[in-house]
Amino acid sequence: MQGHFPVGKVFCILVVRRREMKTKELEQQRIIQGLKDADSEVIDEFIQQFSRPLFGVILNYTKNPPDAEEILQDTLLRVIRKIDTFRQESDIWPWMKRIAINNSIMWLRKRRASRGREIQLEEFAPTFSEDGHLHGSLFRWSVDPEDVILNAELASQLYEAIQSLPFEYRVPLVLRDTEGYPIKQIASLLGLKESTAKTRIHRGRLAVRRKLADYLEGRG
Amino acid sequence: MRHFLNCKDCFGLLMDYLENSLDSETQKKLDQHFAACPPCLNFLESYRDCSKMAQQLRDQQVEIPKELENRLKTFLQEQM
Repeated sequence: MQGHFPVGKVFCILVVRRREMKTKELEQQRIIQGLKDADSEVIDEFIQQFSRPLFGVILNYTKNPPDAEEILQDTLLRVIRKIDTFRQESDIWPWMKRIAINNSIMWLRKRRASRGREIQLEEFAPTFSEDGHLHGSLFRWSVDPEDVILNAELASQLYEAIQSLPFEYRVPLVLRDTEGYPIKQIASLLGLKESTAKTRIHRGRLAVRRKLADYLEGRG
Repeated sequence: MRHFLNCKDCFGLLMDYLENSLDSETQKKLDQHFAACPPCLNFLESYRDCSKMAQQLRDQQVEIPKELENRLKTFLQEQM
């Protein structure tokens, strides 16, 4: 199942079905050796095999395709230059993905000038009565979270909801919810206090929840 | 911490509740509140569903134009 996402000037296709990224051991050995030898055929193969998933990872952080292209170039180059430090017994994909994520974050931190707006809690939080009771009736969503893989429209809504967050909220949310990083590591990567990282993830989730609620509850 | 938690108290502790970072007594109070309060339970489930759905976007594949792939090849060949 595929969802189509117009991202800037480049029309990207998000293949919602996740690909098993584990690389076969023999194949991996061959690629690593080829990169070490600067074998141009292997480098071309390496680009064909890994540039798409790496571009997908990077777009989660930068969302702007020209910026993502620049980061992707740098990531591929870093992978080749650091290939001697890679522990051969492990799988190469998580290692490359970590380089892509770190690179995206470094890139974003350098460009702090383009800060997004602050998300205020009141914008997306539910409302409460004076005695602290939740206002109004809330719908129960009749959706299985795993349906995102099968439902391109839902995936598109979710993707758009996450992409629309200012990067201060999007990045910690993607690191926590999409990549499963622990809060402590997110705070350290982003140079934030753990409490700030938690607040941003929470507010990001609330904003995404509201957007999906508008879609799933037919209010959008 | 009060003996009973109202909806607003639970909302304020939601993130820590899902991270399992509350003490066991407070965690239990939230469990009890969610079991007895359908609107809060619906909110909790939808909030948690958002995280689970975002997890499904992991390792997504993005089509990239052939020209980009060619630019990457040229760039890397030049750098080697």
